[in-house]
Amino acid sequence: MASLFKDPSKLSVYRDRRFQGTQDEFELALQTSTTVYVGNMSFYTTEEQVYELFSRAGEIKKIIMGLDKNSKTPCGFCFVLYYSREDTEDAVKYISGTILDDRPIRADFDWGFQDGRQWGRGRSGGQVRDEYRTDYDPGRGGYGKLVQKELEAQRQLVDYGTGSLGSVPSVIPQYGKHGGSHGNGPRHGRDYHNRKRYRDDDRHAHESSKRTSDYDSRRNPDHESRPQKNPRFRESGDSDEEDDDDRKQRH
Amino acid sequence: MSSWKSLLLRIGDKSPEYGTSSDFKDHIETCFAAIRRELDHYGDEILPFLLQCVEQLPHKTPLYGTLIGLMNLENEDFVKKIVEQTHQSFQDALNSGHCHKIRILLRFLTALMSSKVLTSTSLVVVFETLLSSAATIVDDEKGNPAWQACADFYITCILSCFPWGGAELVEQVPEELERVMVGVEAYLSIRRHTLDTGLSFFEDDGEVEKTLNEKDFLEDLWSRIQTLSTDGWKVDSVPRPHLLFEAQLVAGKSHEFGTISCPEQPDPPLTLSDITYGKQKYAAELNYPQRIRRLNIFPSSKFEDVQPIDRFVVEEYLLDVLLFFNGCRKECASFMVGLPVPFRYEYLMAETIFSQLLMLPQPPFKPIYYTLVIIDLCKALPGAFPAVVAGAVRALFEKIADLDMECRIRLILWFSHHLSNFQFIWPWDEWAHVLELPKWAPQRVFVKEVLDREVRLSYWDKIKQSIETAPGLEELLPPKGGPNFKFATEDGEKSEQHALSSELCNMVKGRAAARDVISWLDENVIPKHGSDISLVVVVKTLLDIGSKSFTHLITVLERYGQVISRICDDQDKQVLLISEVGSYWENNTQMTAITIDRMMGYRLISNLSIIKWIFSPENVEQYHTSDRPWEILRNALCKTYNRISDLKKEISSLKKDIVAAEEAVAKTQEELNAAESKLTLVDGEPVMGENPVRTKRLKAYAGKAKEQETSIRNSLEAKEALLTRALEENETLFLSLYKGFSSILTERLPAASSAQTLQDLKSINPAGANAMDLEEPSAMEMEMDNEDSKPEKSHLNGKTEHSYTVGENEQWCLTTLGYVKAFSRQYASEIWPHIEKLDAEVLSEDSHPLFRKAVYSGLRRSMDSI
Repeated sequence: MASLFKDPSKLSVYRDRRFQGTQDEFELALQTSTTVYVGNMSFYTTEEQVYELFSRAGEIKKIIMGLDKNSKTPCGFCFVLYYSREDTEDAVKYISGTILDDRPIRADFDWGFQDGRQWGRGRSGGQVRDEYRTDYDPGRGGYGKLVQKELEAQRQLVDYGTGSLGSVPSVIPQYGKHGGSHGNGPRHGRDYHNRKRYRDDDRHAHESSKRTSDYDSRRNPDHESRPQKNPRFRESGDSDEEDDDDRKQRH
Repeated sequence: MSSWKSLLLRIGDKSPEYGTSSDFKDHIETCFAAIRRELDHYGDEILPFLLQCVEQLPHKTPLYGTLIGLMNLENEDFVKKIVEQTHQSFQDALNSGHCHKIRILLRFLTALMSSKVLTSTSLVVVFETLLSSAATIVDDEKGNPAWQACADFYITCILSCFPWGGAELVEQVPEELERVMVGVEAYLSIRRHTLDTGLSFFEDDGEVEKTLNEKDFLEDLWSRIQTLSTDGWKVDSVPRPHLLFEAQLVAGKSHEFGTISCPEQPDPPLTLSDITYGKQKYAAELNYPQRIRRLNIFPSSKFEDVQPIDRFVVEEYLLDVLLFFNGCRKECASFMVGLPVPFRYEYLMAETIFSQLLMLPQPPFKPIYYTLVIIDLCKALPGAFPAVVAGAVRALFEKIADLDMECRIRLILWFSHHLSNFQFIWPWDEWAHVLELPKWAPQRVFVKEVLDREVRLSYWDKIKQSIETAPGLEELLPPKGGPNFKFATEDGEKSEQHALSSELCNMVKGRAAARDVISWLDENVIPKHGSDISLVVVVKTLLDIGSKSFTHLITVLERYGQVISRICDDQDKQVLLISEVGSYWENNTQMTAITIDRMMGYRLISNLSIIKWIFSPENVEQYHTSDRPWEILRNALCKTYNRISDLKKEISSLKKDIVAAEEAVAKTQEELNAAESKLTLVDGEPVMGENPVRTKRLKAYAGKAKEQETSIRNSLEAKEALLTRALEENETLFLSLYKGFSSILTERLPAASSAQTLQDLKSINPAGANAMDLEEPSAMEMEMDNEDSKPEKSHLNGKTEHSYTVGENEQWCLTTLGYVKAFSRQYASEIWPHIEKLDAEVLSEDSHPLFRKAVYSGLRRSMDSI
């Protein structure tokens, strides 16, 4: 409504390096997208929590949890797909910056989910931001991955020696258990060992965007109301590049 | 942003553009100086930007008015252009019925009059044009009283200008002002009192007399304006910056505004009946909605400093900020807390926001917007606002038994979401007493539903922890258990069904195709066990495989949906399927609702099956104690509605495509014709037609364009056929919904002779309901709570006891009637087209009058006939 205060360049501050297309195409994708990227989530937040929160902005078509590519457990981001653009805009407007599972989450327009984008792009499997963090974040597996490795190395060193440094909290990522004595205790019923997903099951990401994602729309493929996905987009996201994490440069 | 732009934008705000000054005089002078410098070069940019500011920052209207007054002294032509453009926009807004624009521009005209840009007589002419149009509309002979909403709107706009320019008008043109006031009074005497019981927050149908005597919005505004006039038109909440420059401004040349004309309203229906009148009135109210309905939740002591007119002005400010700063969190919160008024208004602000959140039939924005606004205001005013919000919650909680059902669910959704943003901290011990109330007591149901939503947003243990101060409330938490899989292999039981289930499970794990599963069923299972048992085993097993997450569920349904539709091929089977879902997810309402919603999405079940299931005994018995059946019904209706509006949108976009395609065909054909009619030399011989290669190409183009057009036409036809079918299905849907409600209500409602009103229903005290409350309430409490329906407190040895005296069956009826009204109201636009059929088949004379009343008031239809 208040076009006066809206910064038109705001949509495109961040440029996902995985997007293979021109800047204009990227902006168009964001402006028409019905996908929301959700970041800064707790590793413990479930799809159902996301559903409960985001369905308050509109009817949800799909949720894709971001997973650690090694452990196949949630690593703190997800994609929420809506049916309508209006609902997508409302989700970004009203949910970004609010609290989910005690954390301020961010919700941004996303250029569109492609298979492969559900995997963390960090070297250790999770998101890049969790590689280098030096703070202790119980909702995201404790310390950053590099710090964890260092602590682990130290502990082994010390164990061979005097064994006196037992006070370092155990922060080896054990999803489902809680990292050390920090945080708010174990969560019953939310143990990710029981929530292990069958990855092959999730390869149905490209059906039409209709609410009736069913037989009706298949009969009539000529006039999809939304543009087709760009076939040049990379299909698989397997890569060790660490510098192009989804949201690293977005601020 | 260039500096003149940001100065215009930020005028009146505490902002770096204006340094440390917060004095309006400084702001206007600084801004004026900048604009004056740039006017020659950037006049063409300044004009539209200034008008944009005027339209989108209406709480600054007086500042812009004064600024333009100063510009008028320097550059009359430029200001003349402003006036002309405003005239154009105002006329356009009137023609298109753009309510916000009409209202805001009229206020702007008033400010221009105050700063001598506009003659006061030309403003009065605008008022009189609106006034005479309004009077015509409500005239039985010449006009169309069904469109009173529009007439009321015009009058509201006129009255709304008086806080901004009443003082100036009375000084400059007292007689004309008096004429306008008399005109408004005359209008008020011929219009009908608006009695919108269907849209009130609280169900006080028992007090018909009270509602009759209560002022409607326009009457209320009129009385505020009258008080204003007797107080000498003095308003604290409206700044008058033009007075600071009065000496200069008088020298300006005032412009004429020119005449405007109000659009004609539709003619009254040819045959005037309850139905035709009702349809038009409903359409008019959709086009000219009332902007606010006051929600009075705080004691009047909280508003002592606020004059009646100030309340109106502050509401206008707040509603405009909410409207124009949607999506700009920072600005929205800072403008809301920084209104240019010399008194505190947190309570007023809370009442205004809650009145929007709970507004019926729907708020201007999604409820989640107001959630965000409240969160941001709590952060912006940490010392003041959270306590006010808590006060609002307590006040609404006290009156929850009378709160509209739709408002209740909005309140539940808002409150749970709000608490999730503030660590789930709430003094639950205050409400621990609901445990002593029967399970159908609205306060108890409210607490239970809030806790359920909290668990959905978080997790069970966390919420358990948050109610530590009232551990007894754990009883109201949703069950902690997971799904209910009766074919789990762990139990050691080995029935045939267990075996079938694990066989199916293995097939799914082995990635069997849906058709293989179907033939397995057809050949081995159904013949031996019958279709019902097969259905139960298949559904439970598939649900269990998809139980791990929302995505797992979708995956299973996408892959094995055909299997389910194979065994659920008629409505009865679909109902059985839904009840299997209900029993598998008995402990988890969210998953039940999601699963049913997805199944409807994949068209495995129809909305009719869902409705049939909603009326099954297992659901009917929890209507008054749980939101579970209602959530599922809401989802089904909402999805149906969404599908229809999607179809309508697609059709309108296809129609646009057709126009484009026709143009393309015409163009390609023309090019081809031109090419063919040309004579060209080929090998020295003159040949009809241009270069054959080009002709061939053009032919291909023309063919393609034609093909394209045909294909769009075909899809349009297909979509239109789908829409026709969908609308027919909608009729069946609402018929079956209302028939279902009518029949279950008739079974349970007391005879029409003994229960005419909801109040009658509430005062039927079943034996024993009062048993727990033998003590007579003290006289003082009698005064406060003299209605049986309200929870009473009585002090026994210093201990507070609470009770709720409405009996179970009566509460069941009250809740169900409340939902009938809520659904009718929400889908009124869909229901009105089928009203003749509904009248004939459901809302006949034999139906219970309370049921008919609920439907009528939801549809905002006159209840004279009941």
